Amino acid sequence: MSKKIGGSQAHHFFKGNRISLLIFLLPSIIIIFVFNLFPAFYSFFLSFFDWNGFSQSKVFVGFNNYIMAFKDPELRNSIIVTLIYSLLVTFISMFIGLLVALALNKDLKGKSLFRLLYFIPVVTPSVASGITWKYLFDPYNGVINNILGFFNINGPQWLNSTSWALFSVSIVGIWKRIGFCMVIYLAALQDIPKSYLEAAEVDGANSWNAFRYIKLPLLLPSSLFLIITGFIEAFQVFDLIYTMTNGGPIGATDVLGFLLYRHAFKYFNLGYASVVALIIFVILFLLSIVQWKYTGGGVKNVE
Amino acid sequence: MKKVFLCLVIVVLSVFMFAKTELVFWHYWDGENGKKLESLIQEFNTSHPNIEVQPVFIPGSDLLTKIQLSVLSGQTPELAISDIIGMPLILDTGKVIDLMPYVKKENYDLNDFYENTLVYGKIEDKLFSLPVSSSNLGLFWNKELFKKAGLDPEQPPKTWDELIEYGKIIKEKTGNFGYELYLDGGEGTTWQWQIFLWQAGGEFLDSDSNYRKSSFNSEAGVQALQFWVDLTNTYKISPIAPWGLFGRGEAAMVMDGSWMTQFFPAQVDFELGSAVFPYPENGVPATNMGGEQIFVFKTTKEKEDACWEFIKWFTSTEVQIDWDKATGFIPVKKSVATNEGYNAYIKNTNRLLLPFIEVQQYAHARPPIKEYSQVSDIVSKAIISAVYKKGTPEKMLNEAASQVDLLLGRK
Repeated sequence: MSKKIGGSQAHHFFKGNRISLLIFLLPSIIIIFVFNLFPAFYSFFLSFFDWNGFSQSKVFVGFNNYIMAFKDPELRNSIIVTLIYSLLVTFISMFIGLLVALALNKDLKGKSLFRLLYFIPVVTPSVASGITWKYLFDPYNGVINNILGFFNINGPQWLNSTSWALFSVSIVGIWKRIGFCMVIYLAALQDIPKSYLEAAEVDGANSWNAFRYIKLPLLLPSSLFLIITGFIEAFQVFDLIYTMTNGGPIGATDVLGFLLYRHAFKYFNLGYASVVALIIFVILFLLSIVQWKYTGGGVKNVE
Repeated sequence: MKKVFLCLVIVVLSVFMFAKTELVFWHYWDGENGKKLESLIQEFNTSHPNIEVQPVFIPGSDLLTKIQLSVLSGQTPELAISDIIGMPLILDTGKVIDLMPYVKKENYDLNDFYENTLVYGKIEDKLFSLPVSSSNLGLFWNKELFKKAGLDPEQPPKTWDELIEYGKIIKEKTGNFGYELYLDGGEGTTWQWQIFLWQAGGEFLDSDSNYRKSSFNSEAGVQALQFWVDLTNTYKISPIAPWGLFGRGEAAMVMDGSWMTQFFPAQVDFELGSAVFPYPENGVPATNMGGEQIFVFKTTKEKEDACWEFIKWFTSTEVQIDWDKATGFIPVKKSVATNEGYNAYIKNTNRLLLPFIEVQQYAHARPPIKEYSQVSDIVSKAIISAVYKKGTPEKMLNEAASQVDLLLGRK
């Protein structure tokens, strides 16, 4: 609603004054063009070249970089690793976030303290989190394995194990995202009119039914929002991998963002890196479309 | 009128006389090394009144991308250094000048440099850069753990067999690991493994084909990788763990860089020894070389000449002795490494550095190719795969070799 009012006001204000409208928009247009659109299109252009950024000549190679990408086992591995990481982080953090939100929505003592505690990891820089968790995960001296050892459990090699590394990194990703999911769900829960729940109670619904048939459907738009932002964020994960595993061991945590970084800034294969960037973009674009289509766009349910 | 003219002449002349050739010099030396560089440059600027070198610090991780950008925008500095591994890419810009005409004209002595320090700048009969500093790798051991294990704390292992033998004793007697390998992957793993490869008599890439073909999957390569598998799996004296156990006193031996002779003593609470790294009985001593090269970007004749003046001064034996004394860098020139004053100084101030200076004559250079970082990642993956028992050393190295050959054969 508010958008509409704002819109018509703006319309009146700028009526017959398109030039001043343009002048006001110009700074953002320039910034978006220079820092977003131009680099994106230039990267697409570069994907048809073999260029290291140092040489004075870019060698046109047609679709060679794309053919290489289709044949590249490392890229295939990165797509799978990134998908697993995104699924784990997005859904587990949503689930835990929902549980926490339901608990903190009650009249608990010190609930604002708990909300704060759960939110702290969200605002902690990824690099700091990554380095700290790396110490915690240390197989010989780490806090986690020391605690497990106290209970006579032989802890795994965590980041040094090809089967545990991705899961370990995902734990940190989940830990960092729970607070965000909690805040979104809390806001949504508080938006549910009391009358709905009271009506359900009168009709004899128990608390599970009230959750299943009233709260959960009304939380759908928030869930959709969390899935989309979760995937977009998780698909771009880089700092955690960079600080904790460097993509290893043997590619077990070699996410797309890290593969892209290696080709662009370590091997200086700018053409190939552009192809990887394009693939990340296409996957995210398709995921967003699918999600929006099959969940009815979500927005309708809010109003 | 005459007076005015005279004044003008004087003004023009004096401007001309006092006009300095200003040279911007990009480097990434910080801390003590950075301070020493600044004071050396001040010395140079004072003794060369018509040249003004201005050092500009650029963080090491940014230097390559900064150079990339400066070339694209046409605003390069006059002088810069780079890690040797970045040199092939920098030379690909075509904006670095050939120093050979200066060398020939002034009879500048190139033979005094260790041959392997020159491979990054010397392409056929051209010379695009000169070495200004170096570092290499050797053995460090924890004397306390040696004592605890009943070993002579002054006698480090000299061969691979002894390394295993000592490691086993340490593991048995103290419960600590014998030897720490770098298994975090990437170049850190590759450049350590290359030493084992060279010690066993192998070669990394085929120098006869101008480094366009792999040769690490040779018998020597298999022997070197099998040794790593033995350390980690057969004898379990090397842990598969994040790097850093030696520093915490949990592993008795480690391969690390000459620069650690300055950092370890302050970081660790045990007595340290350093030595040339053990090599197999039928093998040869070897180490891997790090370091920096200095080079000149195309500008004007006047500036390029001034840059050469600075390089000539900076690479002179006297300045290099001063530089290496203060920084702990390993000499790039034989005349420095054998200089009595230099050796006496190191003996008195940093004995740990002596084995590193001694082994510099056996230092190998990593192949000077643009694709080196990618090759290195492929090989480190193969090394770690073998250590993780994903396949035999032979199989893993052969697979890596075919990937490397595909990459290097493409261009």
